[in-house]
This record gives sequence, C-alpha cells and structure tokens, in this order.
Amino acid sequence: MYDAEIGEVIGSSNTEFIAESALLHNPPPFGSFIQVKARETIYAVVCNAYTHSLEPHRLAIAYHRSEQELRDEQPQIFELLKTKFEAVIIGYECDGAVRYHLPPQPPRLHSFVHVCQPLEVRRITSHFWFLRFLMGVEKAPRDELIAAAIRAAYAVHPGERSFLVKAGKELVKLIGDDYEMLSAILHRIQD
Amino acid sequence: MHRRRVGVIVSGSLVGGLEMKLDEWYSVEDIRAGKFVVIEGEKSRFFCMVTDVRLDTTNPQVLADPPDEEEDLMRQVLHGTTTYGTVCLRPLLMTDKDDAPTTQANEPHLVKTIPIHFSVVCEAEEGDVNRIFGSEEYGTRYFHIGRPLDMETPICIDLEGFIERSNGVFGKTGTGKTFLTRLVLAGLIHKDRAVNLIFDMHSEYGWQATQESGSGRRGFVKGLKQLFGSKVAIFTLDPESARRRGVQSDFAIKIPYNQIMVEDIAALADELNLHPTAVESSYLIVNRHGREWLSVLLHQDPKDIKDFADEIGAHPESISALHRKLQRLEKFDFLQEKVVEDAVFKIMEYIDKGVHIVLEFGQQSSFLCYMLVANILTRRIHDLYVQKSERYLASGRPQDKPKQLIITIEEAHKFLNPMAARQTIFGTIAREMRKYFVSLLIIDQRPSSIDDEIMSQVGTRITSLLSDEKDIAAVLTGVSNASWLRSVLASLDSKQQALLMGHAVPMPVVIRTRDYDGVFYSAMGHVEGEELAQKAHANIADLFGDR
Repeated sequence: MYDAEIGEVIGSSNTEFIAESALLHNPPPFGSFIQVKARETIYAVVCNAYTHSLEPHRLAIAYHRSEQELRDEQPQIFELLKTKFEAVIIGYECDGAVRYHLPPQPPRLHSFVHVCQPLEVRRITSHFWFLRFLMGVEKAPRDELIAAAIRAAYAVHPGERSFLVKAGKELVKLIGDDYEMLSAILHRIQD
Repeated sequence: MHRRRVGVIVSGSLVGGLEMKLDEWYSVEDIRAGKFVVIEGEKSRFFCMVTDVRLDTTNPQVLADPPDEEEDLMRQVLHGTTTYGTVCLRPLLMTDKDDAPTTQANEPHLVKTIPIHFSVVCEAEEGDVNRIFGSEEYGTRYFHIGRPLDMETPICIDLEGFIERSNGVFGKTGTGKTFLTRLVLAGLIHKDRAVNLIFDMHSEYGWQATQESGSGRRGFVKGLKQLFGSKVAIFTLDPESARRRGVQSDFAIKIPYNQIMVEDIAALADELNLHPTAVESSYLIVNRHGREWLSVLLHQDPKDIKDFADEIGAHPESISALHRKLQRLEKFDFLQEKVVEDAVFKIMEYIDKGVHIVLEFGQQSSFLCYMLVANILTRRIHDLYVQKSERYLASGRPQDKPKQLIITIEEAHKFLNPMAARQTIFGTIAREMRKYFVSLLIIDQRPSSIDDEIMSQVGTRITSLLSDEKDIAAVLTGVSNASWLRSVLASLDSKQQALLMGHAVPMPVVIRTRDYDGVFYSAMGHVEGEELAQKAHANIADLFGDR
C-alpha cells in the first residue's frame, strides 16, 4: 500500500497541527517525517501522539482482558477510542524546492497526512535547518525529539557516518553552551 | 589559481599579528612554526609566517568533561566547532591583488595594514615563493639555498643584497654552521658575486670534509677547491698537514715578525694573558726599534731584560712578562725573521684575479694562532683595499673599482666581543661596511658574546638552532618587532634547518637547507667521471677541430 494517508488534519496553526490517525494505535513514529498535501506540500516532524476516548474528560475503563478478548466480546468500545498525533511544521515545498521556513498558510483542516518516502526524507534532510524548528517544541523533551528526527533521517542515509557528524556540528551551533544537552543527543544518535 | 585552504582570519592587529581559525579538515599537527601561508585579503594579498599554534574552545565545560576515547562521534562533532585550532600569523609582506603574476620578482612591500575579517588563508604556492624570494631563473643574483619547511620550491637569497653588508651564520655547535657557510660560499663563487677570503680554522672548506648528517652521513663531501678548481686557491699555514691530508696547497703563508704590530698583540691580550701595562710597554719598544720591535724583544736574553727595559725606559717586570708571554709566538713555524714572498701581496694578487682563497690552518688551529694570523692579514688587506677604493673614488673609472671582498671568520666572538671589537680590524670592517668594498661573513656559535653594535650592523643572518635565550636575543638585535621570531628560532630542528632574515631576503623565512650532494655539485658546474671525459673531448674538439 503505497502513499496511503495515515491521518487527517483536525486542528492546525502556522507552526504545528493535530491529525487524527487513520488507524487506532497506529500513529506515525515519534520524530518521523510526514507531509500534508494541501495548496503546497507542508513538511512536519511528529512530536507527540496519544489515544483517548471520544468523550472529553472521560478516561477509558480497564477491563482486565487481553485486547483480542475485548475485540471478541465488546468490539464497540474500540469505536469509542481515537488516536491522534501532533506534528511541528519544518518547511514546505515552493517552486520545486524545499523552503525551511513556515508556510504562509497553516495546513487546511481535513487535509490528508502522508508519511514522507525515503527519497523525500533525503531531500528534506539535505540541510539541517529543520533542526531549528525542533528546538522550539515544548510538547516533548527536545533532546528526545531531535535525536529521534536525526535517527529517522539517518535511516535513509545508511552507513553515512559523516551525516551524523554533520548533524552534530549543526547542533553545536544551535545548542551553544549546553554541553549536557549536546552529549545527551549525541548518545542517542550514536549507532 | 586554486590554493589549498587553511583557515580564516578571525582577529588580530598590525603590531600583534593575526589569528586564524584553522579549518576543521586541516590538522593542527600539519601546521609548523615557520610555515609559509598567504592571506587573500579584499584588496591585497598578505604573505605570512606561522608563529604559534594554539588549541582553543568556545565552551570551557568541554574541557572540564572531555569526551572519552570511545566517544568517537562526540570527538568528531566537537572538532572544528567547539574545539578548534588557532594559528598565530605574522604578516610580513603584501602585494596588490590585481598584480598580474610576472616572471620577474616584483617588489612586494612591507605590511602597513591587515586583511579584513574572515579573509581566507591558503597554503603558499611555488609562484608566491618565487615572487618573493626570486628564482635562479631570474638571473645570477639569486642563489638557491634551501626550501620552505613543507614545500619543494627553492628559496633563494639575493646575493646582490647579501654582499653589500657583513653577514652572519649562527647556531649551536653541530647544527650545520659549517655546512651552511660552505653552501653560501659555493653560491658566491659560482655566481661570481664577490671574492672570498676564508680563514678556515679547521680546514673544512677548501678540500673534502666529513659530512655529519643527511643521506651521506659520515661520508666525505667535496670542498670548494674540488668544486671550483682554479677559481679557488688553497693557502696554508701548515704545509705538512696539507700534505698529510693529500691537499695540494697553492701557497704556504709565512709572516715576518716585522709585520706584527702592537695592535695585533693587544687583540690577543686575553689569549696571551697579557696585562694592559705590558701592552703599553710594547709601544715603548716600538718607539725605539720601530717595525722590528718584536724580533728585537724576542732576541733578548732573559738575563739582559733589565738592561733592555732601562734602555727603552720601561718597567723591567712588565717587559719581562711581555717577553715571557710573547715567546709563545716563537713556536709558530710560519712566523719567521725574513720571508721570501709577502703573503699579503700574494693574497691581493689572487684577489685581483678574482680567485677565492681558503686559508687553512692545519695543525695550527689554536685561537691564538687563528686570531693572530687573521688579524695581521686582514689589517693589511683592509689597508690596501682602502687605498684601492680611494684610487677608485678619485678616478671614478670602472676598471679601478675594487672587487667586493668577503672575509669569512670563524669563532667570530673572539674578534668581535665588545672588548676586541674596538681593537681588531674586524670591528672596523663590520662597522664601516661596504664603503671600502670589504665585508665579513661571521660564523659563530655564541652570538651573545659579539658586540651589540656589530650585531646590529649584520645584514643577513642565517641562523640554525640556538637554545640559549641570550644568544637568541643577540641574533635578533637590530631586527624590529622580533619577539615572534623567538618561538620560530627555538623550534628549529637541530639539523638542516635555518632561519634566514635580513638584507638578502625580503622577509624572514625558515628553510630546509639544500642538500650538499651530487645534484648540488653539478648545479655548481662540477663534472666528473664519464661526463668529465666528454667535456674534455668537447674542449679538445673546440680548440683543435675534429680529428
């Protein structure tokens, strides 16, 4: 199944958006690259995901059954659950080139969300300017998010150690004096 | 022109020198003190020498918690970003950037400004070196003396500038002073720029000498006579020793007593352990007996010294001491009552013909003997040169112009220490420089003992490793803003490296000296073996036609 949508935008702003996952319990991986195809293609990195019941302020109930037993006995309760994910926008496509700044308009509601294919990831990560957007995220620990994004990018540059070194050098510029944070991230991306 | 980049200029001043951030792909370990680099400024190109290398960091926390050995990624990431090398540069010369590269060495000028921020620093190239130091291809005034530390381009000295003033070769013992001197002398002889008179204390220049380092270690290297044949004459003080070593000397020097003046003895006061009053009483003898004073004194019977002293009106004790101490001179074979041929006229005859003279001392290599002979001969040669120059000044005819003479002396601090420099003729020559067409080539291992005034007049200094602070300071006297050269001087290798600075080079430069080997011999026009036979045949054919 190639390039099927993985979610639908249900809330958006210039800097981030929320989408409902097409499959329960199956949001895109934390730190992975996704895109929204709207007026222009907007690129983002998944920074948070959660599953909860449809009714606000109401937690799910523990049934002490395995998931399979529950599906057999009470399939309706899964209809009452939704998986959502949030993503931070890192750039968009304009005139055939990737721009590493915020799109002029936020993604439209109900647009479909797709995963970025390896070639696209390579293209987006040919520069490390996207790291700057991840620095401002507050919904997830920054070091975890940055490390996850770099790992995701490294997955499409297999064996290219120089890629990791370059990413690290870019981080040094972004992080500045915070040696602790730098070493935390580097530990997480080391292969 | 694509040059290899080294880094960018990040700070600096005209007086204090420039600082460059080293590019991350350039290893700090490849940067050596004395390396030659070029800064591409906005409007000018600056030629600089590396004076210091430093490890820097933007974040002191990294230094408190350095990455472990296995934290490879961390090290790689930090390298060139948080931790980097800083290189201190000393701009020495600048040229306009739009100057078309010319074949002639055009005049780079002294640095009066500094390049803008983030100017790119590159490795120097052959063209840069040639442009600054000239090339042997540009004419006979340039002589290839060595190469930069990390390049294969020849560095030349400007012989024209070199012969204009007195020059010095300095360095600790065993660092190649003799070798450097032989190289320079060979250059002067080959390019025919000046006539040399070499006071060769240890008989190392004329005929073959042992090599102390390099590829042919412990082998023999050719002397100047072997390289240049009839252009060089060997004079000797010790014909016996010359014969033993298989050297054919051209002339055995004999000096009559009547050529020794009180000044010569006064210069030897230290060596002879003479009291100043003894020197003064010798003037009393001169008053009475004129030029024959020394032989008169030495002929006195010790028992008659008192009468002799009374006769000339001197203190008997002091005359007796003078007599006793000067008797040491009697054991020198070359000092004689009467000589057949005057050594100085002979030397002048050769010099006038443009033949270079190596004066070997053979077994007579004591300081006493060396200083005595060097003083006597040089004083008279200098007098003759003064007369010649005056004649030239009067007539103004080019054919009267005396040939530039360079006198090479070893252990120069014996002649040129603050005491002796006022007494010996060498002090005079060093000071009055080129006025009379005579200059010195001073070879010494203890430059701090040489009179400051003289050191400041030394035109070109070729310095191999010196470690004593005083010596380093002495070598740098008269060089403006020289503190940065200290680190360069102290970091020279002990073999085959030298710092050139002064009149004959536009900027100070560290060189690996040229090898004194077969390649050098043939560059000097020396041929041997098969080639020699061919040359002889060619000459015969030229003279008598093909038969």
